[in-house]
Amino acid sequence: MKKNNIKKGVLTVLAVTMLTFSCKDSFLEVLPTGSLGEAQLLSPSGLEGTLIGAYSMLNGKGFGRNAGPNNWMGDVLGGISNKGTDAGDYTAMNPIQRYEGDPTSGEFNAMWSSKFEGISRANAAIRLAKQSEQISEGTRTRIVAEARVLRGHFYFDLKRMFNSAPYFDETVVDADIPEIPNSPDILGSIEADFKFGMDNLSETSPDAGRVNKWAAAAYLGKAYVFDGKYAEAKAIFDQVIANGQTTNGKKYDLVPNFGQIFNAENDNHEEAVWAVQSSNNTGSVNNANWFDDLNYPYNTGMNGPGNCCGFNQPTFTLVNQFRTKDGLPLLDGSFNSGDNVVVNDYQVEASSAFTEDTGELDPRLDHTVGRRGIPYLDWQEHPGKAWIRDQTYAGPYSPKKFVYYKTQENTFTDGSSWTRGYATMNVPIIRFADVLLLAAEAEIQAGSMDNAMALINRVRTRAANSIINEYDGSGPAANYKITNYTSFDSKDDAMKALKFERLLELAQEGHRFSDLVRWGDAATFINGVYLPFDSQFLVTKLGGANFTTGKNEYVPIPQSQLDIQPALTQNPGY
Amino acid sequence: MKLKLYLRSLLFTFLAAAISSVGFAQGKSVSGTVSGADDDLGIPGASVVVKGTTKGVITDVDGNFTIQSAGTSDVLVFSFVGYSEQEVIVGNQSVINVALATDAASLDEIIVTGYSVTNRKESTAAVSIVKAKDLQAVPSGNIEQQLAGRVAGVTVITNGQPGTNSTIRVRGFGAFGGNQPLIIVDGVPTNTSNFLSPDDIETTTVLKDAAAASIYGARAANGVIVYTTKKGRKGKRALEVSYNGMFGFTDPNVNGAPEMLTPQEQADYTHIAYENNAAANGTPVQYTHPQYGPNQQATLPDYLHANGVNGVRGSVDMAAIQAAYDANPDNTFLIKPNLAGTNWYDEITRMASINRHNLGFSGGTENSRYYVGLNIQDQNGIIVNNSFKRYNVRVNSETDLGKRFRFGENMQFTYAAIQGQQGGSNGQGSADDESQLLQAYRMPTVIPVYDEFGSFASTKAAGFNNPRSPVRSLTNDVQNDQGYAFSGFGNVYLEVDPIKNLTLRTSLGGGISNNYYYGYNYKYLGDSEPQASNSFNEGAGFNVQWVLTNTASYKVNFGQNKLKVLLGQEALNDGRGRNIGGSGINPFTMDLDYVNLTLVQSPVVNSSLYSGVNFSSYFGKADYNLKDKYFVTALLRRDGASRFGANNRFGVFPAFSAGWRVSDEEFMKDLSFITDLKIRGGWGIMGNSNNVNPANQYSLYAQSPGRSLYPIAGQASGANAGYYKSRIGNPNAKWETSETSNIGFDATFASGRLEAVLDVWRKDTRDLLYQVPLAAVLGPNASAPSVNVGKMRNQGIDIQIINRGNLTSKIKYNLTVNGSFLQNEIVELAPGIPFFNGGGYRGINPVRNQPEQAISSFFGYKMIGYFNSQGEVDAHPAQQGAAIGRFKYEDVNGDGEITPDDRTFIGSPVPKFTGGLNFGIEFGNWDVNSYFNTFLGNDIWNQSKWFTDFHGTFEGAGKGVRAKESWTPALGNNALAPIWESAANISTSGAENSWYVEDGSYLRMQNLSVGYSLDNRLASKLGLSKARIAVSGNNLFTLTGYSGLDPGVGGDVDTNFGIDVGNFPVTRSFNVVLNLGF
Repeated sequence: MKKNNIKKGVLTVLAVTMLTFSCKDSFLEVLPTGSLGEAQLLSPSGLEGTLIGAYSMLNGKGFGRNAGPNNWMGDVLGGISNKGTDAGDYTAMNPIQRYEGDPTSGEFNAMWSSKFEGISRANAAIRLAKQSEQISEGTRTRIVAEARVLRGHFYFDLKRMFNSAPYFDETVVDADIPEIPNSPDILGSIEADFKFGMDNLSETSPDAGRVNKWAAAAYLGKAYVFDGKYAEAKAIFDQVIANGQTTNGKKYDLVPNFGQIFNAENDNHEEAVWAVQSSNNTGSVNNANWFDDLNYPYNTGMNGPGNCCGFNQPTFTLVNQFRTKDGLPLLDGSFNSGDNVVVNDYQVEASSAFTEDTGELDPRLDHTVGRRGIPYLDWQEHPGKAWIRDQTYAGPYSPKKFVYYKTQENTFTDGSSWTRGYATMNVPIIRFADVLLLAAEAEIQAGSMDNAMALINRVRTRAANSIINEYDGSGPAANYKITNYTSFDSKDDAMKALKFERLLELAQEGHRFSDLVRWGDAATFINGVYLPFDSQFLVTKLGGANFTTGKNEYVPIPQSQLDIQPALTQNPGY
Repeated sequence: MKLKLYLRSLLFTFLAAAISSVGFAQGKSVSGTVSGADDDLGIPGASVVVKGTTKGVITDVDGNFTIQSAGTSDVLVFSFVGYSEQEVIVGNQSVINVALATDAASLDEIIVTGYSVTNRKESTAAVSIVKAKDLQAVPSGNIEQQLAGRVAGVTVITNGQPGTNSTIRVRGFGAFGGNQPLIIVDGVPTNTSNFLSPDDIETTTVLKDAAAASIYGARAANGVIVYTTKKGRKGKRALEVSYNGMFGFTDPNVNGAPEMLTPQEQADYTHIAYENNAAANGTPVQYTHPQYGPNQQATLPDYLHANGVNGVRGSVDMAAIQAAYDANPDNTFLIKPNLAGTNWYDEITRMASINRHNLGFSGGTENSRYYVGLNIQDQNGIIVNNSFKRYNVRVNSETDLGKRFRFGENMQFTYAAIQGQQGGSNGQGSADDESQLLQAYRMPTVIPVYDEFGSFASTKAAGFNNPRSPVRSLTNDVQNDQGYAFSGFGNVYLEVDPIKNLTLRTSLGGGISNNYYYGYNYKYLGDSEPQASNSFNEGAGFNVQWVLTNTASYKVNFGQNKLKVLLGQEALNDGRGRNIGGSGINPFTMDLDYVNLTLVQSPVVNSSLYSGVNFSSYFGKADYNLKDKYFVTALLRRDGASRFGANNRFGVFPAFSAGWRVSDEEFMKDLSFITDLKIRGGWGIMGNSNNVNPANQYSLYAQSPGRSLYPIAGQASGANAGYYKSRIGNPNAKWETSETSNIGFDATFASGRLEAVLDVWRKDTRDLLYQVPLAAVLGPNASAPSVNVGKMRNQGIDIQIINRGNLTSKIKYNLTVNGSFLQNEIVELAPGIPFFNGGGYRGINPVRNQPEQAISSFFGYKMIGYFNSQGEVDAHPAQQGAAIGRFKYEDVNGDGEITPDDRTFIGSPVPKFTGGLNFGIEFGNWDVNSYFNTFLGNDIWNQSKWFTDFHGTFEGAGKGVRAKESWTPALGNNALAPIWESAANISTSGAENSWYVEDGSYLRMQNLSVGYSLDNRLASKLGLSKARIAVSGNNLFTLTGYSGLDPGVGGDVDTNFGIDVGNFPVTRSFNVVLNLGF
């Protein structure tokens, strides 16, 4: 009896298990975890989130320092910054700052990849929005328009650094995308994306970080300038300057004090045409200014920001360019000679005495560059060599624009990773001063020099109001002297002034190299001005370096992409 | 009265006679002695059982036994662990003395293949067995390491961390990933053996070819390692208790660490670099190092660092510095140079102890058997604060429930804790990590371990770049860290014999584990890149896997034909679970009783879940045997797996094999020196799907804090959810299929004195799965799908030769040689994929996988010397960065310039030959065993040279002695490194080239032990059935030309291994081993 029961039991178990596992196909259907299927994203919130995902790539997160929105490499190549720190740190940048970057360098691949991640996300947002039957036409148009501006932006970044890229929109299926060859001729498509944004986006939105009609317009104007379409650019800029407002409804204007442009507490101000938003407490420092975490003075301890690592140091030549004579920059190029050279503490111990420069200087210098004896935001006076890792390698200066204030620590910084230095001020993509100067350039090229001068002077007037005072209130920290232009003798003079003004206003914001290249000035400036002066001091870094015309205007298409994408062609000279 | 007494006596006699005559009719008393054929000594505790019954006794301390009631036709079975079983027909004998032969690889040797059991005589497959005692020889935390050199055809690459996982490859590298063999423990599949205690293992069988392994179908292609654990034996017997202990220590081998420049040499060579820089750039020399003075002759300062001032010569204001220290001790340092030089390797290593103890209880009754094992392993690593602890209990039992039913279980419960382990995949990935070992080379010798205040000294002293004091981080940041897991693993089963020779078995097995970890990192401001915050992290996870197996096995003999049939069904889930982890910084205090995730600033918490892969399978196997001379085996398995899309979900895996015992043929009878010879051959198909993400078939989007959030509203805190494409799906992926063929023979000569096993094999894998890197234009954040891209061929020869015999009547020896030749080649990749690369290290990309090359081959410029003069630079094809003293590359394509197209294949980490040699001698009570293993014909990419052999890589950090043989005009092409300078470009430190490639061949004496066993008689007087004590030395020497710390360089990804960045060395250890039986 008992045995019989056992036997029955066994047979039943066998039968049940056989049936259970042989008959159910669903046993072999195991759904993925922690992810979403495309269909789930066709809902209104899914589409918004997909668009947010595209915005998220504006700061290049996850792709290395050269993918950051500050376009660090553009300033390094433009003679604005050098890598900084010392010779052995982040050596991948050493050949790049000597104009010896090789196609196999991972830095180019990271930059390239980050832009295409952004493009891919923008295209996904457009494709899904067009597919969805769950949203209104108005919402659809808005999502498509925002995403197209984002796509235009990522392509614009590719254009200015690589020159040549494969252009495709959301209609191209994955299988065909790698077959598309790269071409330098993509500004037309970029302009079309910005134009669509300008024509279809509203002026304001409750979300200050969204791109609006006027940001799209300003970017369109910028693209026209890069495209040499000055008349079209001027027409656009006229509207932007007259009627433009930020997404949060502030009429475009310059922030009264230059330094306040880069203060997290002042984010989304009237000058922020379009800025990369930055915040803390998000679960990842990637949503703060992760790309700047090493771009602080070195070895500051708790008396300075970040406490690491001394990257992105301004060059000697950059600093000298802030020298003024009678309040105007040295357009004759004499800033690197004789007494014009700004006195610095190169090779001077922090404990040794040092007499600061007493000559005339544009006040924007001390908002842009940290140098000995000048108040470093609200931290302390820059102590010179004590905050520099290796002066003989990278000079005596520290970056300053995107540095957070002492009072902002842990409120406007993200303290959840290994350095203290995850700042959360927004990084401008286009700010109004940039618009004014681009408009001035368009005026010079296509219109009136007087209009151009007025625009340039508007920028200089604000600069003049941006004096840095000593902590003790005893007066200005240096001999600041800046005045407006009164006339331009020629178109050439006007362009000289315009070019100089862009440098002074936008230094360390990533614009310089592409400006030099589009003006055709890269070789002259780099080989004729920057390298001869800076390499006297920074022998290891720059000794024997040389910019090769016809090659170094653009960085190489990454070899690792050429390897797997035969449709691509390498840039000339590589 | 008398009559009465008489009658009683008569009755008694009658009854006695009657009883005894009944007794005689059924059997009689048999006695005798069981001894060892090798030593003629009695074997206590040997089992004597009447065959086919549960009737049995065990021998006494002298090996004597008496068994009652044996019938003349009965067969007595004599057995004892370590000896071959022997059967004797009782007949008319009343005294039976038996000498048991030691259990050399006998033809009856059991081969456990998972679902079934066979023996060497009948096996037609390529299988290898590892003896239980061999698993115990070397004190590792994971028994898989013991397979090194023990099994022909198995490649083991391991590192020196206790408890680490190793790279185990059975017959080559069949795929671009997931090449780890399937592990079966008591019938339950798992992916690791690191929970097993070597003393609990009864058998280890490696199934190498399809003929054996195809029964595991879709998971068999990388070979199968089958472990069974001890079970006890049925039969009335006394409890057997054994104790195995091991105590010892491991020597970090400080003298073997790479030599670094002394403080003065480092200073001198820094100045030489400045001179070389100036010469290269055509500028005047500037001696600008913050420590070494402005003059040509470098000098060391009196203080490297004195509260913010570097390179101080003369005295410092002690009072001021003391005051600064009192005010701010965290950030005030006073560092004197260590003129004698700090040996950082010495500082981070230690003599490391090991303790292993096992208590085994085994026994049985007439209808049950059991084994209980209690195990402790407590092992320290040679690196400070690196340790491995494992405590486990194993309980195995089986009980007869009546005649036809058996119920059994095998269960192990384990606590395992690992502290301070480095490298991914449970330590397996440490070789190519920038580990604390690498930090030890990167710290300049001039920096002392402690400053004048007793704080840790480090690169706060300027000019030494960014290494962090490894002593500080290993001490502060590891000492309070813990990672541990509780797990249970095993199965329960029920067997029933409904009719004769038919056994039905159902088994439910699985494992559950729970892990927890927490870690503390402490603020330290003394590094050049300081750790500015205190931080804390903790997390947990669980995993559950299960398998249900039902089999029916039937065997039938008709005449000289024997047939065994096995049918089975199996369903399993390979592991589902969840993980959660969080971190945060700067709690009010780092007091261990205080900190938790609630109390940290900016806590970040992440969690994940996974469902595992479901398999549903059916399988069958038939073994046919004619006259014990001709053998044929066929097997078939059909697997379905949730890993693949519906259209490719199922795979069918057949195998056939045959064997012919030639030695039984008439024509062989004359060749008396051939004791046994069997020729075998097999063919079959096996699958592999390890290398596929379970979600591979789906295109997915995801949300990630680090990848897709954005504060769209301009908020200063927090961000909005965003989604990004996280995976591009491939519904058409299917199994990797390995087609294997194997021909071999098993031969025994001269009555067992010489044995040889030889297998020639080939394994062709097609439909190789790989995540082919997608062009960035498709969106690099989306994981590329695994697609079936290519073909790989592995082929080789496995040889095992055993020679044993007596040198004199007292001295016995045995010699075992294992060897395998391996050739690995990627045959084909999909159209449009000419090759793919492995990972990069500081801008160096050493690995390319390409057809006609071995997997993970090294790729780069071929360095053909140095530029010895400007003339050579000018004459050479244009090479970026070319200058005197730098690398000169070959213009491989002859186009007159050196471009990336000139990179070529410059080495392979795949060994051409791996092998082992085991030599043992016994004389009297003494035994000596030695064991060697070897790797031949493999290359190592010595990436650590990138850090130590260029002045310009992390300039100022610690540099190696090869600086002294860096290029000079005098050394020319004999230089060991390029000219000592700062430049970084493809002609110096900026490119992958053959200078990094070194021959990785080695021969290691892995074990030498000398043991002494007490005489059985003496032991028994002490109440022991067995007593042996041994001393052993492990890794006593390694012969190699490799210049790094250790040539055993693994890696956790097969497409990227053999790269030494900071590999943990396998170093010498010494142990005392004690084996006792009670």
